[in-house]
Amino acid sequence: MSLLEINHLSTHFKTAQGTVKALRDVSFRVSSGEVFGIVGESGSGKSVSMLSLMGLLAENSVIPEGEILFNGKDISPANLNTKRKRNEYEKKMRKLRGGEISMIFQDPMTFLNPVLKVGTQICEGILAHIHCSREEARIRAIELMRQVGIPSPEKRLDQYPFEFSGGMRQRIIIATALACKPKLIIADEPTTALDVTVQAQILELIKTLTDESGAAVVMITHDLGVVATLCDRIAILYAGRVMEEGLTEEIFYSPKHPYTKGLLGSINNSEKDESEPLQPIPGTPPDLLKLPAGCAFMPRCQEAMRICGAQEPPKSAFSGTHRCYCWRNSMDEALITVSAPAANTAALQPNLALSAAEEG
Amino acid sequence: MAEKLLEVTDLCKYFEVKRGLKSSQAVKAVDHVSFEIAKGETLGLVGESGCGKSSLGRTLLRIYEPTAGEILYDGKDVAKLSRRGFLPYRRRIQMIFQDPYASLNPRLTVGEIIGEGMQIHKICTKGQATRRVQELLELVGLKPDHIRRYPHEFSGGQRQRICIARTLSLDPEFIVCDEPISALDVSIQAQVINLLESIQKERGISYLFIAHDLGMVKHISHRIGVMYLGHMVEIGPSNDVYHDPLHPYTRALLSAEPIPDPRAAHAKKRILLGGEIPSPINPPKGCPFVTRCPYAMEVCAAIAPPSFEIENRRVSCFLYEQWRIRERGGRSIDSIPVNAPVSQSANA
Repeated sequence: MSLLEINHLSTHFKTAQGTVKALRDVSFRVSSGEVFGIVGESGSGKSVSMLSLMGLLAENSVIPEGEILFNGKDISPANLNTKRKRNEYEKKMRKLRGGEISMIFQDPMTFLNPVLKVGTQICEGILAHIHCSREEARIRAIELMRQVGIPSPEKRLDQYPFEFSGGMRQRIIIATALACKPKLIIADEPTTALDVTVQAQILELIKTLTDESGAAVVMITHDLGVVATLCDRIAILYAGRVMEEGLTEEIFYSPKHPYTKGLLGSINNSEKDESEPLQPIPGTPPDLLKLPAGCAFMPRCQEAMRICGAQEPPKSAFSGTHRCYCWRNSMDEALITVSAPAANTAALQPNLALSAAEEG
Repeated sequence: MAEKLLEVTDLCKYFEVKRGLKSSQAVKAVDHVSFEIAKGETLGLVGESGCGKSSLGRTLLRIYEPTAGEILYDGKDVAKLSRRGFLPYRRRIQMIFQDPYASLNPRLTVGEIIGEGMQIHKICTKGQATRRVQELLELVGLKPDHIRRYPHEFSGGQRQRICIARTLSLDPEFIVCDEPISALDVSIQAQVINLLESIQKERGISYLFIAHDLGMVKHISHRIGVMYLGHMVEIGPSNDVYHDPLHPYTRALLSAEPIPDPRAAHAKKRILLGGEIPSPINPPKGCPFVTRCPYAMEVCAAIAPPSFEIENRRVSCFLYEQWRIRERGGRSIDSIPVNAPVSQSANA
């Protein structure tokens, strides 16, 4: 059984300009002990997906549909239309947040409360979730700080956040996240604000600590290097939808979606020759207020066909773990060989109509 | 090597920091840095935050006044010129900033932003300016009718293109690119890099490319300089530095870089550095890297290493003194036992 199961989750935001569809029909599962990477550019919905899971969205958010199961329990944030349902949901989430599910945020400089000692902040979670005395919580906090590699924790416990450097603060945040032995840790760009050498330290730390505790990690990032180093499985998000999902090796060595291929083409790989130019994706990500019809990636896609602009692509599976949402991949091999670029799809037309009918 | 455009010798930039009422201390942001850039060449500059790479870029343009040292630009020491005397060089040396959201005036149209420099330097009349701006917009991949729009109507990548058009308006010979792609999404970064490369091919412009993304720096640069705590610790051709780093810091920095290739990432041997960069207000005595260096020796804690020439590279590390290399029978330092870093002045 999966530890976390998200089915058909959509999240919208109501703004003065209209409805922003930040997340559309996103589904994935995370099992115990695995590191699952959510990769996407800014505005792709990677953070919103996890904030929806935690119930930490802003007031103007609406979740029209979606089901979230954590450890077999239903924690769906959808259809909370009465006050009673909302209160019940909030009560449920309060028990989970910082307890069974914890979160590591991006910016270590703003996450910690500057007027509280770090010891107090680590103990806060322990006291809220575990029945124990202050003294016991303090002993646990010292143990945690030693675990995350902070020297002389007995002394550091009574210091304030400003007395710690960026990397050390991120260690404190990891300590608070681990405090109640969570089953699931959500890491939202945990190393983006850090320098390369410190980033390597923190990634190593996250790896060893989760290997020890057997917790699952959801790693949100835009850095493909971090993903390749740390993750077992990856989902690629674009404009609020999952484009492709698979094992790390499947995504990096046999990408199926044109967007994934484009992402891998626009980074410099150490294996690549310098004289070889980068292959960027033309254009810019779409405005979430005015999403194009059909596939959201269509306007930038090099392999777009006419149907891509008309209908959302269906799911096509390549293995038990590898799936992708693209019309190119949904059609027969025979069809792909005769397929032509968007300008010249006449030959494809009857078949397209056929596959569209099947979908409908 | 091609003709030298820029030659920097012992450049220093110290910032005064007030401590209390009277006493003040100096932050040595750039400390005795020397390098040169040839015409049409790109020098990549890497290092972690606070290592002085941006300060160095700004000092070259005299946005910051240099504390000491020489900046020979086309054979003339521009560090000693008066503000007015430097003005003609302002046209020839340009800069692209990191944050395309902060570096464009939101109250001016794109045409005014790009045309402003040309009017200040009296390059062309107002009528000609419009045509030139339109040409520039096309060159950087925007549409000529964008000229009347305001910056807020553009995305991050497009704004960075506007910034590039603005620097090109003055036909510069040398551009300092201060992390021009850090604020952009992955798929957009490659677009901007390709644009910068094609402009260089066409016009033979030299770049100083500052970044912390090693992969991109290696891609665009001919040579790479590595900075640590205000010092240039290693400089050399980008392939050599990338594939065979000499300085222990360069080795650690490269090994810490996450590579976007799962098999290579798992096969990679990491050198994990302990600790973090010391404060530049109170840098370690001797070599700046001594507190974190796995190869630190007694001499490192006592005196700062001079730079040693190794083949076509320069490296500031005592491990590469001639007699030491002879003693080991080669310049590889892999055979040297790694000791615990000297924890000198860590708490001082």
